[in-house]
Amino acid sequence: MSGGTTCPAWKFWANPIFHRYRRSRLRPQALFTSVLIIVLLSGFLFFIIRTASMYRGNMLPADAERTPLLALLALQGFILFFMGVGQSVGGIISEADEGVIDYQRLQPMSPLAKVIGFWLGLPVREWTMFASTLPFTVWGLWQGQVPFRAWASVYAVLISSALMYHVTAMTAGTVIKNRRAATLSSMFVMAMLYTVMPQVAKAGLIFFDYLTLWPVLNENIQHFLPRDVGTAAKLMNMLNPQVKFYGLAFDNIVFTFICQGGIMLTFATMVWRRWRQAESHLLGKAWAAGLFAWMQVLLLGNALPLIESGMIFPSVSLRSRFGGLYDDKINPTLAEGIAMTGLYGLVSLLLLLVLTFLITPSQDTQWRGLRRAKKLALPRVPRLSDAASSLPFVAMMTLIAAAAWTVFAQAMMGSRWFPGHPLPAHTSLVFLLVLANAALAFQAVLEGWGGKRLFLCILFAGIVPVLMGFVLGTAGDRFLPLAVWLNAVSPAYGPLAAPTVLVPGTGLPLAVSRAVPLSFAFFQGALLLLTSWLMWRLRCIHRERKQLS
Amino acid sequence: MPASPAIDICDLRVDYGDFMAVNDLTLQVPAGEVFGLVGPNGAGKTSTFRVLTTLMEPTYGEVRLAGIDIAEEPEAARRVLGYMPDLAPVPSDLKLWEFLDLFADAHGLGDAATRRSRIDECLHEVDLMPQREKFCKTLSRGQTQRLVLAKTLLHRPSVLILDEPASGMDPLSRRNLRLVLRRLAEQGATVFVSSHILSELAEMCTSLCVMNKGKLLASGTVDEVRRVLGRAERVVQVGLLDREQEAGEWLRTRAGVSEAVVSRRCVRFHFTGSEEEQADLLGGLIAEKFRVTSFEEQRSTFEDILVEVAEGNQKGAQA
Repeated sequence: MSGGTTCPAWKFWANPIFHRYRRSRLRPQALFTSVLIIVLLSGFLFFIIRTASMYRGNMLPADAERTPLLALLALQGFILFFMGVGQSVGGIISEADEGVIDYQRLQPMSPLAKVIGFWLGLPVREWTMFASTLPFTVWGLWQGQVPFRAWASVYAVLISSALMYHVTAMTAGTVIKNRRAATLSSMFVMAMLYTVMPQVAKAGLIFFDYLTLWPVLNENIQHFLPRDVGTAAKLMNMLNPQVKFYGLAFDNIVFTFICQGGIMLTFATMVWRRWRQAESHLLGKAWAAGLFAWMQVLLLGNALPLIESGMIFPSVSLRSRFGGLYDDKINPTLAEGIAMTGLYGLVSLLLLLVLTFLITPSQDTQWRGLRRAKKLALPRVPRLSDAASSLPFVAMMTLIAAAAWTVFAQAMMGSRWFPGHPLPAHTSLVFLLVLANAALAFQAVLEGWGGKRLFLCILFAGIVPVLMGFVLGTAGDRFLPLAVWLNAVSPAYGPLAAPTVLVPGTGLPLAVSRAVPLSFAFFQGALLLLTSWLMWRLRCIHRERKQLS
Repeated sequence: MPASPAIDICDLRVDYGDFMAVNDLTLQVPAGEVFGLVGPNGAGKTSTFRVLTTLMEPTYGEVRLAGIDIAEEPEAARRVLGYMPDLAPVPSDLKLWEFLDLFADAHGLGDAATRRSRIDECLHEVDLMPQREKFCKTLSRGQTQRLVLAKTLLHRPSVLILDEPASGMDPLSRRNLRLVLRRLAEQGATVFVSSHILSELAEMCTSLCVMNKGKLLASGTVDEVRRVLGRAERVVQVGLLDREQEAGEWLRTRAGVSEAVVSRRCVRFHFTGSEEEQADLLGGLIAEKFRVTSFEEQRSTFEDILVEVAEGNQKGAQA
């Protein structure tokens, strides 16, 4: 019997799984080709931009040396973010495809050591390729006299972002079984993060911006540009140099690390749970509730300080960027405030549904839990186990979401921008009803009838009515009320409609402004009845299963 | 006080939704045994193995490997365990020694030199030393099985779980496998092995158990299992130089012999006695001065039993 000791998790350079990938992915022949291509490409970018700046642009040497830095950074981002993510997700799936993943599960290493081994080992060639671009970068930073703090911040966040994306990709690889689908979806998420999410961030949910390199790069951009261009960029950045988080002010880099650290920890936990037990849920119930509360704290903490300054409103934020900052006449419209309140509710609901999906037991898991409890003569399935009903935790998260949404809405409508539009006292109850109707119905269908039925429900009750509503609305104004009624069928419409119902006077056409509250009240009432019935049926199903187990 | 069993399974149940793959299985395998697990497809063999190897959480039940509760201490259990899965896969991007070094390193088998020496030892054992520097993907099916066997032996596990280890191996490799397993058992390791080649399993194992539809039908030596399953009889054929009629008459008077049929220089009969009694029967023939040229079991009736079990399953499913 083996009496040896295995390496601790933190000692990644001695990790057997890291070694396995160091060997297979850094074979001289393949590595030489990859590095040669990258060195040629980065060398070409470096010399062409530098030479053009120096001799065609007649820049001073120190300015010209800075000019290739952003191009090199983009190349490094491509290598680490896109290629690294592809390799991380593809590598895990090939282990499963080849069947050797079971060997890795059986290694007498801690699950954390296994996570770290794969995390750093799978994209080891991409890290080496990244390293091969560094001589050009170092030259540019040195000769361009870029301050240490500026480049250290940008590269620290580049590395932490890459690590976060890689662990996200590994999680995708352990969940999605099809290699192509997993690779494409990971890359799609990357593209979304750098294109769509910044737009969402502009609508007040700036937490998502801190999952990217943008905030820290924007803060330090002047040092990566020729000095005259950089001065203008610096002026722009002085407008909002620090992250406001409730009453606190953080450096961009610190806040980025806080956001990315939390996400990394969560995804690493997911992979860790899967390594420990292949069939376990990606997140435990308590962890999911804690994560949801933490995300609400982050979303609110970022958004609330921006309301008073007006920078949360896309109209104000955009105009201030184009020189209208000191124009006191820039006022956000009421419709904008209501739309942003609705968006906050919708994002909260989507996060809630994702977490509900992760912690709700499948029928198979429920049967196992019931039989185990019966065998061990337990009065019930332990509440925190994967097999237990997710209902209490979904209810808890719904309460958290409703509370956070109410706080956001009250801060928005109570701000100096919208005098005379207070929220009614029953706002929190309406928000709770909207979120509970959607989340509890989702949970009940998933737990009682399974994922396939849930998919059909989402398709026909959640998506199709909205699409039909869009088509009808586009056909002509006279169809708008009907389109509103159709949209109201979808539980996802609730968060968008609720603020409109609670704060009248948004300037909607008369027919629409009549249809919105009526359709909202009707379908939320119907949903309440339906959800209550689903919960009652779920209770019956639980009882039947307990008797049959 | 008897020593604790190397493998101790108590009330093990595995469900896949409504389907019960393993139904309250209780089984003990003493240390130093080569123990076979036999059953038709869907009997619950692989599910049992996956639970034993900590790859799967059972619905309920307790499993101890060398006294270690696998649910409580899975990492400790993995240290004493060597597992060779069915259709043993290998990574395509590693050389043979690199593949083995990954596991030697994970099991903490010392520094690079120590690991190298142990890797070479295992490669010798499975006769793959000449392929040491080759990529795993270049190996044939049988060679791949041997490589995974080497990986399984690497950390000198005290419990080996082998799922169809001989599939794809040529006769020489199979013989070597039998020798390796016997030697390991002599050294105190416990081998739990499943195979569809039943004659081979009977040769390889000191005892075995039969599973069907998730239930344990019988467990013990081959003879004991035959007796429990009610098919103690087997067909024996005796080759003789002459006096075959007399030999037939003599055999018909022996206990356990039935349906003796005499043909040219040969007597074929059904026999229900133990292996010792079968040996005594041969001794008796020789003592009676019959000139015996051969004495063999014509067909493995044990295999017939399993075929009957499998056919019973099919009929049940059709009904």
